[in-house]
Amino acid sequence: MTGLVWGLKSLGRHPLRTALSLAGIAVASAMLLDMVMLSGGIEKSFSELLLARGYQIRITPKGTLPFDTEGSIPRTSEVVRTIRAEPGVEAAGAVLGTAVYGRTRDSLVTLFGYGIQPEAQGIYQVTAGADLAPGDTLGILLSETAAGLLHTSIGDTVTLAGRLDPQIASASVDRRLVVRGLVRWIYDHRGQPSVGTVLPVMQRLGRDAAADPGSLLLVKAADDRAVDNLAERLRERFPALEVNSVAELVVQAKRRLVYFTQLAYVLGGMSLIVAVLLVATLLTITVNERLGEIATLRAIGVSRGTVVRQVLAEGVALTVLGSAGGILLGLATAEYLDAILTSFPGLPATFSFFVPRADTLSLAALVLLLTGSLAGIYPAWLASRAPIAATLRAEAT
Amino acid sequence: MTLVVLQGTPPAASTTGIAVERAVAERLHLAVGDTVRLGATPDSLRRLAVVSAIYEPRPDPAEISRRSSRVRLHLPDLAVLLGAPDRVDRFGIGLVPGVSADSGVTVLNRSAFGFRAHPSAVIASESSQTFKVVSRFHRAIAVISIVASAVFLLCIMLLKVEERRMDAAVMRFVGVRRRTIFGALVLEAALIAILGSVLGAALAFLAGSATNAYYRRFFDTELVFSLITPRILWFSLALSLVLGIAAGAAAAWRLVRIRPMVLWGRA
Repeated sequence: MTGLVWGLKSLGRHPLRTALSLAGIAVASAMLLDMVMLSGGIEKSFSELLLARGYQIRITPKGTLPFDTEGSIPRTSEVVRTIRAEPGVEAAGAVLGTAVYGRTRDSLVTLFGYGIQPEAQGIYQVTAGADLAPGDTLGILLSETAAGLLHTSIGDTVTLAGRLDPQIASASVDRRLVVRGLVRWIYDHRGQPSVGTVLPVMQRLGRDAAADPGSLLLVKAADDRAVDNLAERLRERFPALEVNSVAELVVQAKRRLVYFTQLAYVLGGMSLIVAVLLVATLLTITVNERLGEIATLRAIGVSRGTVVRQVLAEGVALTVLGSAGGILLGLATAEYLDAILTSFPGLPATFSFFVPRADTLSLAALVLLLTGSLAGIYPAWLASRAPIAATLRAEAT
Repeated sequence: MTLVVLQGTPPAASTTGIAVERAVAERLHLAVGDTVRLGATPDSLRRLAVVSAIYEPRPDPAEISRRSSRVRLHLPDLAVLLGAPDRVDRFGIGLVPGVSADSGVTVLNRSAFGFRAHPSAVIASESSQTFKVVSRFHRAIAVISIVASAVFLLCIMLLKVEERRMDAAVMRFVGVRRRTIFGALVLEAALIAILGSVLGAALAFLAGSATNAYYRRFFDTELVFSLITPRILWFSLALSLVLGIAAGAAAAWRLVRIRPMVLWGRA
């Protein structure tokens, strides 16, 4: 009989005790799974979000992160032209973010306006209708929410107003635009009413167009391996701007969300301790109960190694069975916890905190299996050290 | 806004006074009386300013993960610096006693154009959304932890009581009643639960102190990150006691129903 089958049979002798232990290990391993997903999820999700359209470098006003402040880059068109001329640059585009207002029948609706260069954009995906053509100063793109607020659909005309002046109770700029398409803005939070026009139109609506402002520049390197080198060159070329590769932005985002990563490590560690304690306690008591049986086996010639293997196999069986239930439980709780955390105000709708990653999950499974096995070391040592004659004599009386 | 530190530059008559946040002053090695150059962009650092004060901002959880560097200027100085005279981001309005914030907001929004009025309570509620989410997350984690602890406790109590099989058998042989054995086992479970709870509370205080010390240092703030209130303490003690006694009682009930010879292992 192999050690594993022996271990399973031994566990089956006390079904209630085994079931409770398995439940405990399942909850602990579910927590461990969730925390492993949380610790690596932020990084993976943020990285995927930033690379959604393949642009690996972001350029912002000095000392800021994208859309962190109202600061803007002056003379955007000139900067974009210079960047596009750099060797190794496949595409570069500017984005301006500003508040604009949409006119409905009897009031104004506040909207978030993106000024874009359609030939090089990395912040939206068209879901219906057509994209803007470069230089299309009469067209507009809407998010589903903005379309709902303005009661418009593709082909309709909307009026945007910019720079409201409370003293003369009027808008400084008005613009009638035709809805070309509906889009999903990648970095929008849930329900954000956003609209997009070509850059010059949004500059006129939102800011001083003469300064040619932009909030953010996106740069796509022709070769992924040359991103760091290109970012360094752009940093030297534009010392008054903040140049960040996606990898650097991910590091900064992780720093901001460091609390969750550390919480994941602490709770993951505690889950491991709980699982180890459960396995070790159960096996120790089981071994103590079966000392007579173990002494008999030793007396008829079963080797010390076989006894040790049997106890260790029992620990592994407990861990594996408990973890199997833990995976299902962990996936369900991860979904619930993710729903809570993704309701953070201002977080992009596509962002996720609990993301399964093959490498971290494999590592967690390995650590769990290893610690489950290690938990059996003490009871296995107890079993192997049991004095045969004394134990048998004690059993007989 | 951009700031450049100038060392050894004598302040001119037209310099502006600025107050610098303590963390920024430490990072840039600034002291009161130092001169800096200010501008809206890095290539327009035209205005000289003298550090007239260094201040410690009120601890604000909403600002904790933002690593922005802050200085304070008088409003007209900032407006000149930004080239946006007579322009502000927001107003604070104090109402005379007896006027409700909601009615004031309604009147302002009816006549307003280009701005929107909000009651302070609504802004406070909106700006605390982040902490409500974190709080909900902590509660969910706490529920999972309680479930895990309950199962763990039940398991341990079951094992602990089962260890007493021989004792229970002997007691039954010498005529001790089931009820007495049951009571003794439950009492033992309660004692273990109390001791465990007290140890757990001590551990929680230690962990809380370590958490506060670490995150205060990490975020350079005076905020309290872990707070064990008497209510939390009593709730935890009561919960672990109830769970411990319930688990002990369930295990003891199972044990006293078994015949003594079976407990003795001779049936």
